[in-house]
Amino acid sequence: MASTGLLKQIPSLLADLYAFSRNENLSQVEARYYKQLPDKEIECFLCPRQCKLGDKERGYCGVRENIGGKYYTLVYGKACAINSDPIEKKPFFHFLPGTTALSLATAGCNVNCKFCQNWEISQVRPEQVEHYDVPPAMVVDYAQKYNCPSIAFTYTEPIVFYEYMYDTSREARLKKVRSTVVTGGHVNPEPLQELTKVVDAIKIDLKAFNQDFYTNYVRGELKPVLEAIKIVARSGVWLEIVYLVIPTLNDDPNEIKMLAQWLMKEVGPDVPLHFSRFYPKYLVQNLPPTPISTLERAHKIALEQGLHYVYIGNIPGHSAESTCCPKCKNTVIQRTGYTIERIELKRGKCKFCDNPIPGIWS
Amino acid sequence: MNQEGAIDQNKLLGMFNRGFELLMDKQNPRDSLRLLFSPNDRVGIKINTISGKMLSTRPDVALSLAKLLLEAGIRERNIIIWDRTNRELKDAEYRLNFNGSGFRVFGTDTQGVGYTRDLVDHLNIGSLFSLIQSDMVSASISLAVLKDHGMAGVTAGMKNYFGAVHNPNKYHDFNCNPFVAELFETDFIRKKHKLTILDCLLVQYHRGPSYHPHWAERYEALLFSLDPVAADFVGWQLIEKLRAQKGLPSLEEEKRAPIYLKTAEKMGLGKANSSQIQVIENEV
Repeated sequence: MASTGLLKQIPSLLADLYAFSRNENLSQVEARYYKQLPDKEIECFLCPRQCKLGDKERGYCGVRENIGGKYYTLVYGKACAINSDPIEKKPFFHFLPGTTALSLATAGCNVNCKFCQNWEISQVRPEQVEHYDVPPAMVVDYAQKYNCPSIAFTYTEPIVFYEYMYDTSREARLKKVRSTVVTGGHVNPEPLQELTKVVDAIKIDLKAFNQDFYTNYVRGELKPVLEAIKIVARSGVWLEIVYLVIPTLNDDPNEIKMLAQWLMKEVGPDVPLHFSRFYPKYLVQNLPPTPISTLERAHKIALEQGLHYVYIGNIPGHSAESTCCPKCKNTVIQRTGYTIERIELKRGKCKFCDNPIPGIWS
Repeated sequence: MNQEGAIDQNKLLGMFNRGFELLMDKQNPRDSLRLLFSPNDRVGIKINTISGKMLSTRPDVALSLAKLLLEAGIRERNIIIWDRTNRELKDAEYRLNFNGSGFRVFGTDTQGVGYTRDLVDHLNIGSLFSLIQSDMVSASISLAVLKDHGMAGVTAGMKNYFGAVHNPNKYHDFNCNPFVAELFETDFIRKKHKLTILDCLLVQYHRGPSYHPHWAERYEALLFSLDPVAADFVGWQLIEKLRAQKGLPSLEEEKRAPIYLKTAEKMGLGKANSSQIQVIENEV
């Protein structure tokens, strides 16, 4: 096995997993959202790529394979990264603040962002990373054992391990553990709508607000991501948006303004929008980290367009990490990095003026 | 080749002899290969085994070539027949041999092999390379199978190197263009690649790269070229000829012509133009 893998674990969880089974075999669980075509070909409907594949071929994601005319997920129950993270790291700022999420991923991704922060596990095939057998029920057990009120499907692109995520979320709901998804939103409407029936929160990484960027730096399509945002917003599942601001590539003030206006129109002022700082990584090594002033400019533009909850991320200690009541302007959740300093909410309302603050607070 | 795919060894050897003679203008393969490789070379024979037993580079073909390299003075241990996974090699009926005597036959996923630690970042390519291609060999032969390909149009000698990187699935957009050409241009490939031989014993001219017997032609040829682009261009023309014979639309009509060949030509990797390619056909 190649040593490009990355396995993040808390020590006790590490011991548990080693005690269980480190495994080099892949799963062979039939995939959902595909149709069989003549001559053992298949067409996948999970994401907008809609890969058409012959026998023995894999999709763009690298984790789903046509075997004899049936399409299989190779990563069902095959976690390559698992950890207990602050929920703020996802980031979710309006979802169970101050709690930890049992966070896991399998290998694979259905896009290829040149600035990917986790490319060592997202841009590889499952054979190329270490993974462990952690079936859905065990994920839920671990979440309970390690006092995680939620599970986060994160680090890579959870859509590519849809079946594993879906079944785990359904299992978790039975045990009153919540499920969250950190995704690029490059998914077709039908599977997303089904997913919203079993998860509690979805964070969508909106990589830019123009198709050229998606073509050149993401290898994906913007339109389905915008559609995904609307679907999640309509579903009632808690939604937050992250926009990684990359100097010169997607930091144009006009683009930020259009994005904020679109969010106002399509999902309303209450969706939290996080502008995150970029650090050079993967194939974008020639640009500096995002200047703080650029993030502050984006933050200001989005607020001016009427969004209520705009944050700056990846700059620990910045005042825009905290949640302010849009009515009385008092700080209702004070954060430093992933740490919650204080919460001034009472039953989901501002303690100072009784204004409801949207989110899932308990 | 009989119905079960078994190859007449004498005829195969005759094809190699004649192919090298015409390619290098030498009387025997030994002298031809000595023009391409030095005795100190560690020669990688990159085969293609993704499509199973019937449509992979045949072991007889790869082993025959390895024997000729041995006769040309390359040390046995320095001849590596390889592809990305041992599973695919075994499915194509190769006998794996990593540490034993004889030619070495193994996949990148062999314990202790794997991929480069650092990414190669070249134009639109961002990949880890098989350590076989990057470190273990000093010279490389692409011994690929000629196939129709649903996305690339044609898969042959250049695209065969998709199996040398960790993320080939990321290079199938836009008819694999410019990815095939740009991957070939990376130092690990362009500086090492010496020879293309296309296994055209059975050509999948439609619905590839998977094996579909009713669209596979027993063409019973090997195609030799020093120009990697020209080799694939000629392969493409052969596929078009077979498609026309069978009443199928051309790849251009199906909007999947291998446009990466023109890109490769523009990059100076070889010729993709009939007027500049000399094709010599010879029957053994």
